Parts: sequence; C-alpha cells; structure tokens
Amino acid sequence: MIPPPSAQAAPRAPDKPNPALPAVVPAIRGRGRLRAIRVGYRGQLALMLAPYLVGTAGLVVLPALIGLPLAFTDYNALEAPVWVGFANFVELAGDDIFRKSVFNSLFYIALAVPLRLLGALGLAFLLAQPFKGTGAYRAAVYLPTVVPDIAWALVWLWIFNPIHGPLNQLLAVAGIPGPAWMIEEWGARFAIVFMMCWQIGEGLVVCLAALGDVPGEVLEQSRVDGASAIQTMLGITLPLLMPVLLILLFRDTIFSLQANFVPALIVGRGGGPNYATTFLPMYVYTNAFDYLRLGYAAAMTWAMYALTAIVLVLQYRVAKRYRLGFGDAE
Amino acid sequence: MRRGGREMGVRAWVDRSWRHAILLPLVAVFVLPLVWMTTTSLRETGKPLPRTLEWVGDPVAWSNYPAVFDLLPLWRFAANSAFVVAVAVPLTILVASWAGFAMAQLPREWRLRLTLLSFGVQMVPLTAVWLTRFVLFKQLGLIDTPWALIAPAVMGSSPFYVLLFLWTFLRVPREVFESARLDGANPLRVWVGIAMPLARPTIIAVSVLAFVLYWSSFVDPLVYIRSTDRQTLPFALQMLFQLDRSNWPLLMAGAVLVTGPVVLVFLLAQRYFLQEFRGQGFLGR
Repeated sequence: MIPPPSAQAAPRAPDKPNPALPAVVPAIRGRGRLRAIRVGYRGQLALMLAPYLVGTAGLVVLPALIGLPLAFTDYNALEAPVWVGFANFVELAGDDIFRKSVFNSLFYIALAVPLRLLGALGLAFLLAQPFKGTGAYRAAVYLPTVVPDIAWALVWLWIFNPIHGPLNQLLAVAGIPGPAWMIEEWGARFAIVFMMCWQIGEGLVVCLAALGDVPGEVLEQSRVDGASAIQTMLGITLPLLMPVLLILLFRDTIFSLQANFVPALIVGRGGGPNYATTFLPMYVYTNAFDYLRLGYAAAMTWAMYALTAIVLVLQYRVAKRYRLGFGDAE
Repeated sequence: MRRGGREMGVRAWVDRSWRHAILLPLVAVFVLPLVWMTTTSLRETGKPLPRTLEWVGDPVAWSNYPAVFDLLPLWRFAANSAFVVAVAVPLTILVASWAGFAMAQLPREWRLRLTLLSFGVQMVPLTAVWLTRFVLFKQLGLIDTPWALIAPAVMGSSPFYVLLFLWTFLRVPREVFESARLDGANPLRVWVGIAMPLARPTIIAVSVLAFVLYWSSFVDPLVYIRSTDRQTLPFALQMLFQLDRSNWPLLMAGAVLVTGPVVLVFLLAQRYFLQEFRGQGFLGR
C-alpha cells in the first residue's frame, strides 16, 4: 500500500520514462524478437480464422458458383453430366409451372416481407422499454421462431383444416364463415403467408438491439422540445433505425424466398392445390430430388438468383430515391 | 408533494395498463398455435373430430404420447438428433468464436472486409447450395452419414454467429488483449484465458441458436440421409405424417415431443439474448 520512497519523493515529470518499464521492455523490444512475436501472433490469428474461411468457401461460395456450369448440363446424379448448352434455359422459358412458381414467389414476398417487418418493428417499439413482464412478453413472441419447421407446418395444416381446424372454429364463434384455406388456390397462398408471420423473432431481436442503441439524450431533447411520443418516433427514432431496417428488408426478402419450402411441402402437400404453393424452392426440390433433373434444377436456381437480385435492386433504388436509410441518418 | 407523487403513481399505472392491454392479446395470438398443438395432442384418438371450438378435450387423454413411441423407433431418432447436436454445437462455438476473436484483432481494414464478406455469405439462400452440396457430399462419401448434417458446423454454422462473437470481442477494450500479447501469451491462450470467459452470454446465445438450428433441421436430413435408421427427429415427424395423415391428436403429440426440447432449452436460456439491448454498439459499428 505504501508507495516506494522514490515515487513519493518527487512527482514524475510527464516525459520522464517510467522507471519500472526499462527493466521489462528491452526484453520484448529487442528488434528481431518483436518482429518474431508479431508475425507469430498474426499467423496464429490467421490459423484461428482459417476454419471459418475455408469452410465458408467450401460449403457456400464454391457450391453457389459451381451451380452455374451445372445449369448447362443434363445431370441425374448417377451418370456423368452431359453438356446441353442453353437447352435447360430454353425449356425453362416455356415451362408453365415455372412461370406460376415465379408468380407465387413474387406474391409471397410482396405480402410476407412487409408484414413480417412491420410486425417485428411494431413489437420492438412496444417491448423496447423495460417494464415488469417485458422478459416474458419477449420470450412469448420469440417462441414460435424456435419451433422446428416440420412441427410448425403440421400444426398449421391442422389449424387450416376447413371443417375441424381450430381457426375456422374460432371464426365461426365470431360469426365469420371461414374460407376453405388449403383447398382453394388463393386461400392456400394467403395461408402460407399467414403462418410465416409468426416466426419473426430474429427481426424482433435486431429491431430491439437497434432501438437500444438510439441515444437517450436525443429522445430526451425531443421530449423537452415538446414533441409528442408519435412525433419523436416518426421524426427521430425511425430515421435512425432506417439503415438497420433496410438491411433487415434485404435479409428477409432473401430468407422469405427460401423459407416457404417446408410449408409448401407439408401444408401445401407438395405445392398444391393446383401448384398454388409451388414456390421456387419447392419446384427446384421437385426437379432435383424427385425427378433427378439436377441440371434443370440448377438452371432454375440461377433464375431464382436473378429474381432475388432484381427484387433487391428495386428495393434499393426505391429506398435511395426516397432517401430511406441514406444520408439523413448519418 | 404527496399529491404529485400519487398522480405520478396513477399515471405510471395507466401507462403500464395500456401496454399490458395491447400486449396481452398480441402475445396470446403468438402462442396460440402452440396451445392448439398441445390441446389437440390430448384428445382421445378415434373420437370424432370437433365441429365446434374446443379448448381441452374431454376426457384428457395422454395415450397419444405412448402411441407415438409404439409406432416409431423414436429413441433411435432422438439419439441420432442428439449426436448431431452434441457434435455440431461445440464445433460451432469453437469455429465461430475463433473467427470472431481473430477478426476482432485484425487491422480495421481487414476486419471490415471480412464483416462485409460475412454479410454477403449470410445473404446466399440455402436453396442455392442444396444441389451442389449434395454433389459434393456424394463425392466425399458423406451422403447417408450424420457428418453430412454436421458439416455446416465446420464453418461455424452461420456467418451471423461469427459476427455475434466479433461484436462481443470488439466491446472488450483493445488493451486487454494487447497486454496479454505483450506478456508473450499466444492467441490460443488469450482466447481461452481472457476472451471466452468474457463472452459467456454470447456463448450461451449462440449455443441456443445453433441447438435450435440443428435440432430443427428438416431439409438437410430430407436431402442427405437415405436410410431410415439414420434419420433425425424432424424426419420422424414427417414419417408419422405419412403413416396416418388424418390422426391429428397423434400427429400433434409427435409435434409436441419434437418441439419440447427446443422450447425448454430456449426458455432456460432466453434471458441471455432477449433481455439486454442497451448500448451494444449495434448501430454505430
């Protein structure tokens, strides 16, 4: 506790070196030695990074790229692929079911993505301020997100049962005649969108994290200036959130395009009725693993990429045009 | 003073009640499917299906649960699922935390590049790699083995998990790692001794997310596993569905059995990723 007399005697001049250091530092600061440690440390860091990078290259980047040449072949996973040029793409252009699946997918993202985003954002606003019970509410809202896809699909297949299902029974109590859901084309399309609006936990967490980062002083200042809660939300909080919401929009668009596979397989019983729930992943799966037409499915996968890219670019341009998430917030 | 205090109390009470009045029905809607899943699983099999809204069956029948075990070798599937989770989750933590740890100490410019790459990879739809992964696994002889299901753990399962670790380690003051390094500790020692103990909430959160991911994975076993006795629980549910497509109480009992473990793990650990959102540096970084 008692400082050594030398330190106590005279306060050290700021530019005078710390007397404790010289003994230790030269041992590390010897030129070659420092270099050796540095390279070694960096090298070891690179090694720790390697599994992630190599794994990502091997499992995502390369497989995604190899799909391109596969699209120009006829391949059934048993015999060697045969080069067929653009035949797959030509066939795709005349495939009515493919056209229908593009329409289904577009309809799905046009409805599901905004609903999911608004749901996550609205709930985040309600649950951002901690109060008694927030934890339980947050957990309850997140809960459907962790339910395994297949269990989720089965329970909704039951819920949508037009005669015995709980949803139409509930509507009957309210005096509303329930639709036939999975038996008619449009009922089925809406049903799949409907059931995906429950699993928004990830969006909720991202919105909560973003809301937690909005500086408290800014909100306080706005309140002091006499702005109402709604004005503060629209004028300050939302613009600050825009960059995050934009990323969430892109992410959810891509996610939604693929997430409807299990619902289509189980609730739509393989994409029905009359191909109304044959979304792109469903049709890719059917061609690849039921018909073993992997080349044709690869061509379709590329069409799906293109479609995703077009939708993302459109969203980006709209956002940029109205300066949502660009400039203002910075 | 006293009057003001009471007024404040009333105001706070009104404020709170408002929230509960909006949130309670909303939350009820969110858990409703799970409630229906459970109540339907307790209906007697063979009893005609309800034609009016029915909450709890009368009498409450537990017999559907043993019936699922009689129909399917459920323990076998559960063991397969458990094996996949037991290997994949620790591997995910290892790879993702290593990558996040390394990225946190790289020069800024490289860190940004890798962050961008991670976001990019996160954006690649999994449907786009089904086919080529299938071909790859076939070449490697992994088809029809649990290793095909575990494989994504080699890359940390998801770039998102790596980013979670990165953001955690970036919140640790730089000097902490720096001084350990100057003391001559190698990165592995710093990772074990300093970084990981500081990252406990993140480790728990990523473990839960990875557990849910592997336990629930349905498409992977559907595509990569051929033999029935190597299948996992989600696929067992699909088999149950194919055995009897209209025995709803039985199907819902199966769904509860598959969902139960995930819900349990989630509820035990949810506070680690649902409670604290202040000042995470999420917007700024």
